[in-house]
Amino acid sequence: MQLQLVLNHEPVSCDVDPCVRLIDLLRDTLGAKGVKEGCGEGECGACTVLIDGNPANSCLVLAAQVEGAQITTVEGLSANGELHPVQQAFAETGAVQCGFCTPGFILSTVALLRRNADPSDDEIKLALAGHLCRCTGYQKIMDAVRRASKLIGSDGPNAQETKP
Amino acid sequence: MNYVRPTGVAELLSHLQEDGSAIICGGTDILVKMRHGLVSPKTLVDVSRLEELRGIAEVDGEIHIGAAVSENDVLSDPIVVERLPLLSDVLKRLAAVEIRSRGSLGGNLVNASPAADSAIPLLLYEARLRLVGPEGDRWLPVHDFFLSPGKTTLARGEFVQTIAVPEPPVGCSGFFHKIGQRRALIIAIASLGALIKVDGSSVRLVRLAAGSVAPTPIRLRAAEEALIEGPLTDARIRDAVKAAARSVSPIDDIRATASYRRQVVGDLLERFLRQTLP
Repeated sequence: MQLQLVLNHEPVSCDVDPCVRLIDLLRDTLGAKGVKEGCGEGECGACTVLIDGNPANSCLVLAAQVEGAQITTVEGLSANGELHPVQQAFAETGAVQCGFCTPGFILSTVALLRRNADPSDDEIKLALAGHLCRCTGYQKIMDAVRRASKLIGSDGPNAQETKP
Repeated sequence: MNYVRPTGVAELLSHLQEDGSAIICGGTDILVKMRHGLVSPKTLVDVSRLEELRGIAEVDGEIHIGAAVSENDVLSDPIVVERLPLLSDVLKRLAAVEIRSRGSLGGNLVNASPAADSAIPLLLYEARLRLVGPEGDRWLPVHDFFLSPGKTTLARGEFVQTIAVPEPPVGCSGFFHKIGQRRALIIAIASLGALIKVDGSSVRLVRLAAGSVAPTPIRLRAAEEALIEGPLTDARIRDAVKAAARSVSPIDDIRATASYRRQVVGDLLERFLRQTLP
């Protein structure tokens, strides 16, 4: 089928098998290699992307199901050569070790902070509970989300909504 | 494999007549089953955008929830938050936000897991399902919907259109707890939900339901009978816990043993009842 969607603010049109998984469309056809495959069944969160702003496991979505949708991968967060505040916070706090889970954590954090700019620790844990990290022990990730919340707060509410 | 996206109920019904067709909505269960080779449909019929299966509204004092509405949209809907708080609270603990943004309430029911979290509040609220098939519509209490693990009373060619929840009894408090090894994404080892109304010292209304302790999510009627119209004394609590443990039929599996589940469902009930004591 001919599929139209918006990937990282750019309209995309491609000829695709409707039953291919969204993760395969993004990685193999559209080159968004920041989307990682961990478990392939929704347990680990590594393949998380934003579909119309909502975090979803791209391994459990068919390409045809995102027709007309706005998809954001980690590649779409930075703007004008500047890291997104959530990316900046993950880098500054050392919340990245091997990095495989990081794009998923960052995208779910972006979605969390858009609906709740100042989350409690419990709200952060609930929002990120669908992600597994096997390196950090999660403490640095908690630090990163708290720091991102402060960065966004100090830059004003629109700081994270920068578009190229 | 083919993919079709019907634009109306008539078209959906006609696709469901085709050999090897299967409904996909959020995809969070069927795509995992396909990956494990448990199902291999020839045609996936996508109902996720079908208007007739969407929306949440009050209709004649009931709350009607479209079967394709995502679990996240159900739990955050203002009508659900205000009128069906236990459903909202339970869905907050179903899987994880990335699953709930795709998975639908109808899909969680049709999947018919003995551990289905959403079935517990719907059993307690005594919800009904509107099933639509080639012969027409029928309404079925959710209590009669589940047959065994993965099996429902849905006939070939039939689908769930709406989940209708009556106005809950006034003045009830709700409870839900599930036991598992991880806070997110767990398939419950055992779960217990309850609605209760205590008037003075007497239990005026009590409904209990449990997951992962029988081939389907179940109401614990014997334990309810042990509690209704009397005070929450130690002796009556003990009787109810015994009745609950007797009325479940858990199995040993990779997550826990049957005897552990029987113990835990009683413990959850006792915890809830002691918490309810004035």
